Amino acid sequence: MPETTRPHDADHHRGTRALRLGIAGPVGTGKSSVIALLCRELRDTYRLGVITNDIYTDEDARFLRSEGVLAPERIRAVETGACPHTAIRDDVTANLLAVEDLEHDFDPLDVVLVESGGDNLTATFSPALVDAQIFVLDVAGGGDVARKGGPGIGRADLLVVNKTDLAPYVGVDVERMRADALAAREGRPVIALSRTDRASVDALTAWLGGVVAAFRSGAHSPVDPGPMAPHFHADGTVHSHA
Amino acid sequence: MPLRHTAASFNASGSPDLVLALLADARLPVGGHTQSAGVEPAMAQGLTSAEVPAFVAGRLRTVVAVEAGTAVVARHHVLAGADLRPVRLAWAARTPSGPLRTASENLGRGYLRLAGRLWPHPVWATFERTPPRPLVLGAIAAIAGLDAARLVRLCGHEDVATVSAAVLKLDPLDPLVTTGWVLAAHPLVEELVTRCASLTDPGEIPATSAPLVEQLSVQHSHAKQRLFHA
Ligand SMILES: Nc1nc2c(ncn2[C@@H]2O[C@H](COP(=O)(O)OP(=O)(O)OP(=O)(O)O)[C@@H](O)[C@H]2O)c(=O)[nH]1
Ligand SMILES: [Mg+2]
Repeated sequence: MPETTRPHDADHHRGTRALRLGIAGPVGTGKSSVIALLCRELRDTYRLGVITNDIYTDEDARFLRSEGVLAPERIRAVETGACPHTAIRDDVTANLLAVEDLEHDFDPLDVVLVESGGDNLTATFSPALVDAQIFVLDVAGGGDVARKGGPGIGRADLLVVNKTDLAPYVGVDVERMRADALAAREGRPVIALSRTDRASVDALTAWLGGVVAAFRSGAHSPVDPGPMAPHFHADGTVHSHA
Repeated sequence: MPLRHTAASFNASGSPDLVLALLADARLPVGGHTQSAGVEPAMAQGLTSAEVPAFVAGRLRTVVAVEAGTAVVARHHVLAGADLRPVRLAWAARTPSGPLRTASENLGRGYLRLAGRLWPHPVWATFERTPPRPLVLGAIAAIAGLDAARLVRLCGHEDVATVSAAVLKLDPLDPLVTTGWVLAAHPLVEELVTRCASLTDPGEIPATSAPLVEQLSVQHSHAKQRLFHA
């Protein structure tokens, strides 16, 4: 699927409503932690809101509220009927309404963070729901995951390789994993993150600052990673699945 | 505000069967996958999958009659250019559970988003932000050329199909069994057509709430663990 920009009338909101940022990635890689980190670091810079998509409980919303990084009423959970993938891609209605309500109730907001329920490597946000997205992997999932590719790894606006502090314990070479990721992403940004590594945290907040600035100036175009990234076949052809 | 349209503003073209198929498709992006039509709350309180066909039959005779009746009367009002507020009030009076009203309003917003894009029409501008689903369905039927009988079938089928799909997430079952439930409910859906399709006045909408369904929906809204919104 070719890169497509946001296809519909939400365009006229660009720059006036909040930036909508999706956070996707497999279960347990640190999506909620990244959101908590961003809230903790940026709550004095931006007016923030959070939507979580828990599979079964409102665990993530409760975790974020308990972190005390944001007023509890700015963190809302959406049920996804056991379909986390559908809720961010094929039918974004429930999430979109929740985002609109949050923007309506706390107008004006600068950034709304939407956490996807932990899913597999093919789950990415529809451009109908978010303006930009972060895909979160962690070193504990294995050093070869970045090489496996997929739309989120290949084409999300930012790839985070999280929990680098654990690398020595799981036998992962972070530099190698970062290089694999950069190669899979044809140069799109990758941040090797640990909450204990100040420089990496600063890199993350700087990245978001850049996206917010581009969004406000109208220079940011949402990119759809698509359901499948283009990939190579043994015969040497490259193609993408519609 | 009162709605005023001439008959000429409803120039639906095309096949009502295809419109019905489109609207009845579970993949319709209106947030339907977040709903269990009451079956998750019921199973949490001990309803077994063997009892689901009876549960479905009970819904078709009660809450779905309210839904279908409201939709049909709303369709009639939109076609006549009449104010929809009395229809909304009649629906709310027959839907005493707050969580069920909220669920219907969330779905209504989803359908409204869809309808405004697929069937542009001045009537949408007269809608409030959170209209209940049957009001929007009735208006879609008016604008897209769905007759009252098909509209009732849509409401009935949608409810049974929602229950059946949700049960698959809640209990290990063969999907052919749950699809069999949908087929087996067809005679009850046709009974609903007979009962509701010719209604025109808000006062005629069946006042058949189901106290247990209502009560369970309230409990569900406080549940610590749930897959579905309602
Ligand atoms: N060592 C280490 N652990 C981390 C880091 N970031 C997150 N974790 C831990 O990883 C675990 C999972 O983090 P979450 O943020 O809940 O992950 P998630 O992706 O939101 O999980 P789901 O929502 O369940 O899919 C928690 O125990 C976190 O404390 C990190 O930088 N270093
Ligand atoms: Mg989480």
